[in-house]
Amino acid sequence: MPDAVTPGTSSTLALRLEVETFYYDEAALLDGRRFGEWLDLLTEDIHYWMPVRRTRISAQLDSEFSKIGDMAFFDDDRKMLEMRVRRLETGYAWAEEPPSRTRHLVTNVRIVGVEAELITAESNFHLHRTRLNSDESNWLGLRRDVLRRESGALRIARRHIFLEQTVLLAPNLSNFF
Amino acid sequence: MNTDYRSMVDAGAGTVDRRIFSDAEIYRVEMERIFARCWNFMCHESQIPEAGDFFLSFIGEDSVIAVRDRKGRVGVFLNSCRHRGNAVCRAESGHVKSFLCTYHGWTYDLEGRLAGVPGYKSFYHEALERDKWGLIPAAKVESYKGFVFATMDPEAPALDEYLGEVGRVGLSMAAAHGDVAVVDGVQKNVLACNWKLAVDNLFDWYHVQTSHASAPLSGYLPKLPYSDDDQIVSLGEYGHAISGPRSTPEIRAQLAATTSKVPLFDERWRDTPEAAAALGPVGVASRGHPNIFPNLWIASSGVQLCLRLPRGPFATEIWWFTLIDRNMPAEQRRASVQRMNHTFGPAGMLEQDDGENWSQSTLATRSAVARRHPLNYAMNIGRGQISEAQQPGLPSIETSINEHAQLWTYRAWADWMAADDWPALKRDHAIPRGVV
Repeated sequence: MPDAVTPGTSSTLALRLEVETFYYDEAALLDGRRFGEWLDLLTEDIHYWMPVRRTRISAQLDSEFSKIGDMAFFDDDRKMLEMRVRRLETGYAWAEEPPSRTRHLVTNVRIVGVEAELITAESNFHLHRTRLNSDESNWLGLRRDVLRRESGALRIARRHIFLEQTVLLAPNLSNFF
Repeated sequence: MNTDYRSMVDAGAGTVDRRIFSDAEIYRVEMERIFARCWNFMCHESQIPEAGDFFLSFIGEDSVIAVRDRKGRVGVFLNSCRHRGNAVCRAESGHVKSFLCTYHGWTYDLEGRLAGVPGYKSFYHEALERDKWGLIPAAKVESYKGFVFATMDPEAPALDEYLGEVGRVGLSMAAAHGDVAVVDGVQKNVLACNWKLAVDNLFDWYHVQTSHASAPLSGYLPKLPYSDDDQIVSLGEYGHAISGPRSTPEIRAQLAATTSKVPLFDERWRDTPEAAAALGPVGVASRGHPNIFPNLWIASSGVQLCLRLPRGPFATEIWWFTLIDRNMPAEQRRASVQRMNHTFGPAGMLEQDDGENWSQSTLATRSAVARRHPLNYAMNIGRGQISEAQQPGLPSIETSINEHAQLWTYRAWADWMAADDWPALKRDHAIPRGVV
């Protein structure tokens, strides 16, 4: 859960720049529909997860999000993400055929933990999608990632995605966040 | 416009007038004559186990609160203060001691009674009859095997009678999975389609090969041993139906052999004496999808329920409830929940591709020229022999892939729309006999 606000660490400017550059490159791959190359940015043991959110009173906000192991919009390991990419490449994935036009905006990047080769980073995102002539969807939210350095390069070992919406105002979730 | 609803559904030709999916007046009448009259699914009892637990649901577009009171009963109330109409509950679920209107502070207890009125003495001079100004309750609230339903119409028959054999068999498919409880997290999203086109699809085993072509191609969906040429359709009172492939002991053995941790394809529960007693021989063999009219789909052979809530003629909210046996081993539970997350819901490998079809279908019911031409539901028409020989009380058709259940849904829809009240509906509505 995105519980207490973790202050950004006094990490080096160089590290933050590296993480931001990584996110911008990742966004470019997704918006360029280069999903195979995007998969290369994920570790073998990635957990890609988007819980269900619901409106709760402030005293019960601890149950605002569903927990790992219960229902979620995404609860994927690498094999599942590869399957999703294969699906998009079949030419029969109608939610993306003709393809959507997406733009990922990634901002407010904060390094909130550094432990050996693991970097915990939070970022805000805005995924804008248009489809066909006039269909438009917007998703805003928080990503909390664990990045791991593998052979010198950053890889995503965990991505937890917390959307702002409770009832999703979109017909589907056919894109990556 | 012509409001002869029965003329909009031609059971002989197998056609449906496109206007029923877009006309604003027809939609308004649906809210009155279908949703405000029928039994509506609220939630499962496991979602609100303790006194004060509530789940916000809907009857048509009316927001309602399903809440457990201190005597352990579930009540259903309109989520609207009797003073100015403001919502008295704004969270989707949770736990309360009472419902406080945030406008002027009227407070209602767990049984809907008006318990507190600020200024009752000084401003109302004790003249307000508080016992007459409680929350508007549902006319009837009943559970069937843990599934809570409510109706706003006092003339509605008891839930058991409303469900009939088809509805009972449908819900029993879910209840037969053990000591089932809802897994936390009801997935909700909005589609730009008419609610009936979403409902229509649940019986549709014809669209799978095209709409969901990407699921087997990507390696997600294995080839299942069901036959397109061996299907069962059961038609129920008031528009309920079950439609889909036949399951046989051989098919179940084959599925079990390929099932690992994930029990979704494992249908051996159908071979238990409990299943035989609850479902009967046709119910046991029926691997199809039940719909409790108007809008509750019992999916995946009973492990998920999908509610389709109307939001105007051109929008529908899709709500997924997921059930699992409380006693399932942790590892199996994890795998099973994950598989359900991957299959249905807005990110589901199957469901992603459905929504746009229904949206585009809905769009083509609005435009001047397209709406002149009816939709075609004629598959297998004139070839469906209805029989109760296999299971008395469960009129069923044994056939190939077909559109009988969809057409029955629309025929029943027309009966509901044409009826002025419950007695008229009961008088003028009947399950067809013979050949359809």
